[in-house]
This record gives sequence, C-alpha cells and structure tokens, in this order.
Amino acid sequence: MKKINSKPEYYRYLLLFVLIWGKGYAQPLKYNSVRDERNPVYAFTQATIHVDYETTLHNATLLVEKDRILSFGNSVAIPKEAIVINCTGKHIFPSFIEMYGSYGMPEVKHGQRGGTPQYESSRKGAFYWNDAIKPDVSASLLFNYNEQAAAELRNYGFGMVNTHQKDGIIRGSSTVALLGSDKENKQIIKEKAALHFSFNKGVSQQEYPSSQTGAIALIRQFMYDAEAYNNAKEKNEINLSLQSFNELKNLPFIMETTDKQEIFRAASIAKEFNTSFIYKGSGTEYQRLQELAEIKARLIIPVVFPQAMDVSNPYDADMVSLADLKHWELAPSNAAFLQKQGIEFAITADGCKSSKEFFDNLYKVVHRGLSKQALLKALTYTPAKMLGIDNKAGCLKKNFLANFIITEGEPGDKEFKIYEHWIAGKQYVNDFQAFLADLRGNYRISAKDVQFIDGKKLTITGKKNQYKATLHITDSTKLIIDLKQEKTTVNGNMYSRALGGFVRFNFQYDTSGIWNGWMIHPNGKIFPVSVEKTHPFEEKIEENNDDDTILPGPILLPLRAYGFLQEELNGLSNKSYLIKNATVWTCEKEGILEQTDILLENGKISKVGKGISAGKETIIIQGTGLHVTPGIIDEHSHIALSKGVNEAAESSTAEVRMADVVNADDINIYRQLAGGVTTAQLLHGSANAIGGQSAIIKLKWGRTAPEMLFPNAPGFIKFALGENVKQSNWGDNYSIRYPQTRMGVEQFYYDMFYRAREYGKNKDKNKRKDLELEALWEILNNKRFITCHSYVQSEINMLMKVADSLGFTVNTFTHILEGYKVADKMKIHGANASTFADWWAYKMEVMEAIPHNAALLTRMGVNTSVNSDDAEMARRLNQEAAKAIKYGNLSREEALKLVTLNPAKMLHIDHRVGSIKPGKDADVVIWSADPLSIYAKVLYTFIDGELYFSRERNNELTERDNKEKNRLIQAMLKAKNDGEPTIPVMRKEYWLYDCEDIHVDEVELLQIEP
Amino acid sequence: MKIILIVLFTLCNFYLSLFSQRPAPAPPQQKGILITNAFIHTGKGDAFIGHVGFQNGKIEFLGTANTKPPKYDTLIDAAGQHLYPGFILLNTTLGLREVDAVRATRDYAETGEIKPEVRTVIAFNTDSKIIPTVRNNGILIAQPTPRGGIIPGQSGVIHLDAWNWEDAVIRMEDGLHVNWPSRIRKYYPWDEQNESSNYFQKERQLKLQELRKIFEDARVYHVKQPVVFNQKLAAMNGLFTGEKKLFLHADFENDIIEGVMFFKELGVKEIVLVGGYEAYKILSFMKNHQLPVILKRTHSLPGYEDDPVDLPFKMPFILDTAGLLVSIDYSGDMEAMGSRNLPFTAGTCVTYGLPYEKAVQLITLNAAKILGIDQRVGSIEPGKDATFFLSNGDALDMSTNKLTHAFIQGRSINLDSHQEALYRMYMSKFGLKE
Repeated sequence: MKKINSKPEYYRYLLLFVLIWGKGYAQPLKYNSVRDERNPVYAFTQATIHVDYETTLHNATLLVEKDRILSFGNSVAIPKEAIVINCTGKHIFPSFIEMYGSYGMPEVKHGQRGGTPQYESSRKGAFYWNDAIKPDVSASLLFNYNEQAAAELRNYGFGMVNTHQKDGIIRGSSTVALLGSDKENKQIIKEKAALHFSFNKGVSQQEYPSSQTGAIALIRQFMYDAEAYNNAKEKNEINLSLQSFNELKNLPFIMETTDKQEIFRAASIAKEFNTSFIYKGSGTEYQRLQELAEIKARLIIPVVFPQAMDVSNPYDADMVSLADLKHWELAPSNAAFLQKQGIEFAITADGCKSSKEFFDNLYKVVHRGLSKQALLKALTYTPAKMLGIDNKAGCLKKNFLANFIITEGEPGDKEFKIYEHWIAGKQYVNDFQAFLADLRGNYRISAKDVQFIDGKKLTITGKKNQYKATLHITDSTKLIIDLKQEKTTVNGNMYSRALGGFVRFNFQYDTSGIWNGWMIHPNGKIFPVSVEKTHPFEEKIEENNDDDTILPGPILLPLRAYGFLQEELNGLSNKSYLIKNATVWTCEKEGILEQTDILLENGKISKVGKGISAGKETIIIQGTGLHVTPGIIDEHSHIALSKGVNEAAESSTAEVRMADVVNADDINIYRQLAGGVTTAQLLHGSANAIGGQSAIIKLKWGRTAPEMLFPNAPGFIKFALGENVKQSNWGDNYSIRYPQTRMGVEQFYYDMFYRAREYGKNKDKNKRKDLELEALWEILNNKRFITCHSYVQSEINMLMKVADSLGFTVNTFTHILEGYKVADKMKIHGANASTFADWWAYKMEVMEAIPHNAALLTRMGVNTSVNSDDAEMARRLNQEAAKAIKYGNLSREEALKLVTLNPAKMLHIDHRVGSIKPGKDADVVIWSADPLSIYAKVLYTFIDGELYFSRERNNELTERDNKEKNRLIQAMLKAKNDGEPTIPVMRKEYWLYDCEDIHVDEVELLQIEP
Repeated sequence: MKIILIVLFTLCNFYLSLFSQRPAPAPPQQKGILITNAFIHTGKGDAFIGHVGFQNGKIEFLGTANTKPPKYDTLIDAAGQHLYPGFILLNTTLGLREVDAVRATRDYAETGEIKPEVRTVIAFNTDSKIIPTVRNNGILIAQPTPRGGIIPGQSGVIHLDAWNWEDAVIRMEDGLHVNWPSRIRKYYPWDEQNESSNYFQKERQLKLQELRKIFEDARVYHVKQPVVFNQKLAAMNGLFTGEKKLFLHADFENDIIEGVMFFKELGVKEIVLVGGYEAYKILSFMKNHQLPVILKRTHSLPGYEDDPVDLPFKMPFILDTAGLLVSIDYSGDMEAMGSRNLPFTAGTCVTYGLPYEKAVQLITLNAAKILGIDQRVGSIEPGKDATFFLSNGDALDMSTNKLTHAFIQGRSINLDSHQEALYRMYMSKFGLKE
C-alpha cells in the first residue's frame, strides 16, 4: 500500500518544488484582460541588511528578481533595469516564520454539550475509532487564502505560517503557506510540513479520553496500531487515519503542551516509539531547565506573559499565590533562560492579540537578557530548520525566497516598526510613512504680507511622523501647529488669537529643506509663505533608565511556596545522619526500642542500635524524648496527579497509566511530608470496573515526576466495584454504559479476561500490541497486581471467585468496608485489605461499614492497611491508624504497622521500605511524641536519607516566602503605577481529587461521593 | 426464679443489642449517683481528681479528692478515668442527613435563597443510625444547622439521646444563619479569569441589597405591630432583642468586617462568626467587637496554597490567646458521620499550642456560651445538668478515647450502636474474642 502511495506523494513534492522555482509547471493563467506580467529587478540600497541571524551588512544592497533573492552585499553591481529603493537608515530582515499558526483554517466549532454520552466515533468514513485522532486531516486541503488575516500577520513580520487546524489529539498535517495575496496554489510552499499532536481532545464529543492520562494512552495505542497496520501484509480493513499517519510519520512531530511537565510526558512517548517531538511550549519551560536540556528538547515558545494583577487592595493581594506572583515576574525571562541553558527554540506569536503586543513582548524578552541575535534566530532560522525549509527561507541568501521586512529598529527594540513587507518578491506596504523625508529641524518663516509670522522661528521636534511643530512668535508666545506630512506636501493649522481664528497652511516640499506654499488667514484671504531650514534636527539620546530594573527573584523547584532552590536540592544528597537516643518503632520483630540510635548513610538505614558512633561529616540529631518510625505509606492516594484522576469514559481503561501524569508541583506533596508520608500509591479513580495503572511515588518534593517514581516498583492496577462502576450516582444521562448492575460487572470481568487470555496466548502471532489487553494479560500472569475499590461483601466475594477461576489473586481490596464480613474468605484467597479508619454513611453501599474493620481483618490474619484517599487525611494517617486501637483494640505496634509495614507488603515494596531495619531505604520520620497519639507532630521526614522536611526549615521557608511575596506585591504595585494593565484578583480553588472525581475536558467536573 | 428472670432479661438485652437498629433512649434518672475519684475536666479551664454527685438530672455535688461526698444510691468508682462535660457539636447537619448520596435522606437545605422561617429541630431525626456512633465518642449535644442560600434558616440545640425531637430539644430556635455573600469570587484553574468578574460583583451587590431589605423590614416588623402576619419577618424578631443570635458564616477578613458592620448597623444584638478562616488576620477588630468564633474543623487543609501547613491546627490557639471566645465545629466533607472525630480535632489544638483544659473548653463551655445554654450545660458545676461522660483515657486522643458511661440530664446512656453490634456479630462468627 505504501509503495503505491508514496510515488504520487513524491511527485507532488517535486511538482511543488518546481512550481516555486518557476522553472517547471505552473497552471496556465486565465486573464479577464490582456496579459499583464511584470518581472522587474529591485535593488534595495544603503540598507543595514541582516542576511541571516548571524550576519549583518551595513550600507549594503539587496537585489531581488521575481520571487527570489538575486544577490546581496556591499559591492553589488546594480543592474540598469533595476528599480532602486533607497533604504538609508533602515534595516532589512528575513521575514519571520510563524511556526504555530492556524491561518487560513476554518474555525472549529464545539457541538452541544450534555445529553446522552457518546461512546463511539461520530466521524463518517473509514477513519480511526476515536474522534480526536485525525492524522488524515490535511491543512493544505482546508487552506483558504484570507487577505484580512494575512495582512494582520504580515504586520507581525511573518512572511509564512506553518498552519494547521488546532483541534484534536492527533490533529493532522500542517502546511506552510506564504502570507501573500496570490491564489492558494502559489501560497503553499510545503504541502505537508509537520504532524501535530496535543493532549487536548478539542471539540470531540466522544467520551474517551476524558483525562490526560487517557489522551496519552490513546496516542500510544494509535501509534502501535499504525505500526501494526503498516506491517500487516493483508489488511482486513482500510483505515485512512492509520494510513495517513504512516505516510506522514517522517514529518516533524509537533506537540502542544500547556505546562513544562507535559513536555516530559510527551518525551516519554517519543522515546517509546523512537521518534521525537518539537514541543509547543507554555512559557513555563524555565521551571525545569536542567531536565529540558537533558532530553535535548526543541521548543516553540510563546511570548505572552501573565498580566499583572490589581493588588492595590491588601485583601486582594492576600489571595494571590506566590506561584502566580513568581511566574508573573519570571515568565518574560523564559527565553533568556533557555538561551543560557543552550536549548533550541523558535518563537511563536501564538496567543498575542496584536502585533504591538508581540513587539512589546519581544522587547521584554530582550530586556530580560535574550540576545537580539538569538531572538532573530528564533524567529527565522530555527523555524525554517524545524520545518525543513531552511534551503529556501529564514535568511536572505541567493536563490532564497524574497521574503523580507524593511524596518526601523531591530526586533527586540523598544521602537520597532515594519514599514514594508516583501513576500515572494511582492511588495506589501505596512506603513506608507516609511519613506517620507524627516522634517525635524529649525526653520525660518518668510511671509512678507503677514508681519505676525514673518521671520519667525519654526521648530519641528518629536518623533518622526508624530511631529511637534512650534511657531515662536516671541520668546514667551508660542503657537502649536498641527502638521500633517504627505509624500510631497505638508499642511497644517494653528489657532491664533492675534489673527482671530484658525490659520491654515499648505506647502510643497523636497529634500532641499525649502517649503513653498501659502497660508489661509482666518479672514479667508490667502498669502504666499515659504519656510527654510536653518538647523538640522539633533536627536537627544535618552538616558536608559531601565538599568535600575530589579532582577527577577530565584527560580524555586517547584515554583511555589516551600519550593527548593536548585542548589538546596542538589545539596540534599550525600549526607549522613545519626539520630541518637530515640524511641524507635522498628515495625519489625524487635518491636519498640528505647534509647536507640539510627544511622542513615548513602540513602539507606545503615545501623540501628545503641552507642553508634559516626564519622565527622555525619549530622547528629538528638533524639531524646523523640520517636522514630518508618516513613508512612499511603496505599490509596490521588494527590500529585494532573488533569484527571479518572479516565472515566469506558468500563475498562486498563491502558492508562497514572505514572504518565504525576504532577510534581502539587503543594500536597509538601503538606504530606509534614505529616510523615514518604511513599504513596497514586491510584486511578473508581469510575470504571477496570481502571488505570497506578503510580507508586516517593514524596520527593522539589524533584521531577520521573524522579519521584518508586524505582522498580511492581505494576499495579485499579479495579472498582459497586455504585461508581454502575454509575449509580452520575445522574440520569449516564445509564447506558455496560455494566449498570453488579450482575453485569461480573460478566464484564470475565469477558475482558477471556479476551486478554486469547490475546496473550496468540501473542507471537499478534502483530498489534493492545495496551489494554496487555495489562490484563499481565494480571493473569501475576505480573501486575490489582487494587480493587470495593465495599459490599457480595461483590468482593464475586471478584475473588472470578480471580480464582482464572488463576490469579486479587492483591488488594481497597476501602473494603465490608471486608470484615468476608475476612475468612479473603484470608484464604490471599488478598490484602486497605481500608478507611472510620468513614461510612456517604452512600448506600457503605451503610454497613464499621470502624473495627481494620482490627478485625488484622485479627483474621489479613494483611491490612489504613489509607487516606484524601489529601487532608493523608497528613494524619498516624492518627487514622490509631483509631484501630480505639475500635478493635489493636496494640499500638500493630496499629502503626497499618500505615507502614503492612502497606509496604501489599505494594510488594517491603524489601525496601515499611520498617526500620539496616539495609532498607532511609525513609524515616522523627516525631515529637508517641506517633499514635494526637499530640505527635512530625519534626523531620527523610526519604532515601535526604531530609525533605524539617520543622525548623519549614518555619524559615514560611518567612522566606512571606518576604518574597511582599517583594513581588511591591513589584506588581509598581507595574500598575507605571501604567501596565492589570486584571482583577480572584481566589484560586485547587481541586483535590478523590477517587470519584471525573475530569471532563477541564470544563465539566462531575463529583460523586467517594 | 428471680435469677432465671435476670438471666432471661440479660439474654434478651444481648439479643437486642446484637440486632437492634439502635439502642433505646435512656429513661429519666431515678436514683442519685456518685462518681468518685475521677479526673474531672470541668470545662472551665481546670481539672482535678474529685467526686461528682447528681440527682434528678442535676449536678448536686462537686468536690476534690479530699472532700467527703454525701451519700448516694449508686456509686461509680471512676479511679483512673476522665470525666468531661458532654462535648457539643456546633454547626452540624447530623440528624438532617443519613446517606449523603441519597437525596431522599437529605433534609438540611430548603429551596430558595432567603428562608429565615425554616428551622431544623422539627426535622431532626433522633433515630439516625449515625447518632449513636457520634455520641459514643463523648458528643452529647448538637446544634443542627440548615445549609444553602443566603439565609439558610434557623438552627436549634438538641440532646443526642431522645425518643423524638420534642424530647431532644434544648433550644428550639437559637439563631439565624447567614451565608455572607463573599466579595471574593472563587475560580477554578480552567475558568476564564476575566470573564464575568463584573457580573459577579453586580450579582453580589444585588444579594446584599436583598439581605439588607429583609433585615430592615424585619426590624420595622419587630418595632410596630404588623398588619399582615409574615412568617419570614416574624422568625427574625429575636435577633433585635438578643434572644436569637445571628450566625454569620464568613471566612475572609473583608467579608467578616463587612458582615459584622452590616448587622450591627441593622441593630442585630448578638453576632457569632462561623468559619472565620482569616479571623486571625484581624484580631484587633475581632477583639473590639467581642466577636465569638466557631472555627471550621481544624483537621482541614490550609485555605491557600501558600499558607503554613499547620495553620488550621493552630488557629484556635491564636484566637484564644487573643482573648476571644472560641469554639470549633466539624462542618465540611463527610460532616455528619465524621463528626465523631470532633474531640480529636480539639486534641490537635493542644499539639499546636493550646493548653489542654482550654482545648476541652472549646467544645464544652465555650460552645455552650455561644449557644446561650451555658447556664444549664457546658461545665461540671453544681446546679447544671448532669450531662457528662466518663472515659477510660484521654478523650481528646483517638487512641485512648473510650467511654464507660455517659449521662444526659442524669440519664444513663446506652453506649451501644449498630456498628458495635455488627462488630460483635462478626467477632462471634469468626470465634474471635476481644
């Protein structure tokens, strides 16, 4: 299939190439007049020519013939037939290239929301099954020349746009179009330039995917499908989407991101498929510079910055977060930081509302330290290279497209003006004032018949084209003349009380400095007047006041309250600690040891005992009166996840992975460190019978998401039973997804596992990798473990029987509020239990929950833990565990194990964490009192021997952040005072996920009881 | 014969407690009871080992360990046990909801924005299965409170052990609740920032206007004998005499100031602040107006990302130190069934600076003062209701809170619950022993 198709493709490119260079085919032109073809040579002389971002020639000449550059240089012979344009004092730059536009694309419209959910594709035709996957969409087919939009973009300095329809997850190919006013045939210079991706499903109404983790899985599955389609000798069906993707897969891939973390998410997809992305950035890239450099990211960055907020009301100012304040201050430095880090980037005007805003922001970027050379590179060379058109665009060398701008000033200057824009050799005048003579200077007026003004001095100052003309009658009497300049004439008017009204002038001028004309007296009589230049204008160079600009504050990792400085973070490792004379809760058979020392070295617990001595470098912590426990492990958490905890669209979403969307910036990571939590299992929600794969993380605040992932942790997956899966509390529209009853749930499981078994058994024969069945096949082979959200005993029993019959074990039942009723069966099956301490009564299926559950299960020999499923409760898990003493009489030691060793066991990580034992990870918490009493607070939290939280440092940071916040508020007030527009402050709500949150495309949010 | 009867009776009782929906409400106190050698937390900020004697539902005698108590019919030796006044659960929907997800069981939010006429006590479900589970942790009195709209309605005060709401009631209508229309608009990360900000402020002004109107009308209605009876206005009468309190629900500093000034100007006598997240920022204002505060559940996350991680834990300490009358509630997520944790949220205050007896006072005498029932309950004092409990250990600590006895107006409360019954049932099924 590919062979047949690739030939016309090749010819198409060839054709296009030929067309552009004017030697081959061009369709016959139809005239509704006589033929009118003109091909003059233009010579732009005396200009400062920026041939490319590195080369600048002064007093140089540029020769243009038809649509291309003929030559350039300081000693170019100007052909006789050339039309000469004197560009004295002006710059010529190659036109900018917009990497990320949607010029000429039809508008994408949202359909009606609400109503019955759409589970299947609504696109008609032989396409992929998901509405958000449209590699077959070709911008070149959609492209419609639009003069108004083109003219607007020319004002930005763009000579061409890489344009595509910004909708969907795989959005199809973009096309590179010139911004001239010819027919589309002449505008498109590269029919298929890049393939565009995003994590946003756009206007698709199909339920799937409803989260970012789903979007990522969808991209991966699609790419596996494309591979399989390509490799299949015989195709059982035609799929135009897969076919298109395979045809286009050698194009550059461009991925739109909305946060720097998404870059790393996309990068891991690229790695999996041995490809790479160019990332359309969000302006937050500076927040992870080191890591971006490590993956050699190539970026397209916007230059829109957050607006200052109106913080003049102190109440309002209180509501602004440090994160927002810091981003406001640092965002304009993004490009400069990237340059310094050596990261390749192009600049897009995407998001700018006007060319003025664009140029102002370019000025800000340069002011913050981006070199002008780098700026020009990012606007010309880099995009041309990224698009593979650097052999014809991006500089002004011979035979390149004659795409250039004639300007005053350089991009990044405070005053930057584009006078003319030439595209493919065609002139587009932006500002007709450009080539007018400079009128500024001192003049003497001769008006024999009007004594009042005769011999008087006229001064013209101000900016070019914004003249300020003053007529000096006497030293104290000055009249202002409103002057208007045209190509050869000047006219003006002024009010004179002495003459009794408005006086009007008309002059005709040339370069000699003499104006001849007449004035119309207020009484209507006309008198001849002439004006002669006596002194040329002397520009006063304004003092640069910008030097006093305060440098932006430091970057925090993450960029919010309690963030680390890079050097602090680097300094966390390679330290050893000795905790002396503490009460140590080992959670091992040694039990609770009084007056005991613990040595933490190289990230591990190296010694536990009495009288341990330490090296000179070791930091000693006096533990007298303090208690030490293993780090707390939260078996069920939904913190630190981006854009959706549930991929709720289908009854099975085994293919999605929470590890793909770990959000390292979540403040709850820090808050939970303050509660002694060191490890958490981030679970998919409970919206479907088979949910997504979990991520087990260590709460290493300040680090990136990949750095937080628990190394070599076994694979887990969320399952769910009961009301959520049946959509019982979702409202009346959600009543069609199978299953809607507990009866259906059982059959659904069987169906999925039978399919997985078939898939697994035929794996060698299978060409197609199925991410969903792959995960289920792993379960069947005991390589992936289930954490199943469950409440009532019937369904717990049911799932164990399903598992028994298929030969695997349900690893963990989570919530498991009626676990106490089937504890004997769970014991036999070999399941673990992870429960709430005392929650109940929030829905029907929890009405028989009892707080003695954890104790009873433990007594029955079921390995049991207490979890949070709640960002607040997680920071008090020690207290939740202590409730098992109150309800059910567990011993204090047993109770502590509910949140340490037991969850470690059920997560199969007890060889690394969960107890205090030499050789285990140094995940250790020091408490002020008995950790199972309400009076204990965390003093220190170590993870892998690194001190991520301490009470003293916490207090210092509070102070540090208060100061920094105050400084930034001052800066914002100054910005307002300096006339910057501001936006009102609003209180930001941070959405905390629990397992019932369904994140629908960032717009609708459906919350159900847990 | 007598022995057989007793055995039968006991068996019968056991059977009942194993399978009944909820324990039966306790009969009135028949005999005088003397509790000796208990560690008595009076609720007034002090504690000592001593004896408490009570008869006919009232405390008669209170003395230290050295004093010799008068004779009583029944003696409870409480050596090693702690005695606390019954904890008071403020601002709650306990008894007004049973199963959160089931609409049919939700009775706390009447439709509409301005509903001063509605009152909670008559809807209070004394038979809620949640109540025993809360009571068993020491909470003996509650203030069922309406939710929703600008004026959700009137709260009342009840005992948590009764056959019906008439038996339960302490105060039928103790106050009117107002959710202050906040100047601050919440927005979520996906909201357009600028969008409809003006619209929001305009809407807010209209709400405030509506609120002012009803209060002005109510004041006039109160002063002059009305021509036409108006339920809404009549319900507000007590606000101008101080007989009913106005519970102002507001969190942000400017909302608090605005709200308090608004109601003072309208002649409202008694104002109680509820929520008060930013009250700590305006201590002098709070002090000048002697504003009592019911702080939101201390086991909450900080309200702002930048706020210190411990701020909600410390808040009662900060406000108490400033000399304000402070209490705490358990409103928010999972508030009805979760309210059994109220004592522990007070315990947390101790961890973060508040003296222990002050923490007890938060949920006893201070709460009683706020409800205007401190003449009857809230502390261990002769003459007050015998509404208190005994715990085997520190009742503010979840690992030691274990009630042995509880009395409401001297009535000895059955400390069983359906949860305990289920526990026993399955312990017995699996042959396990305590």
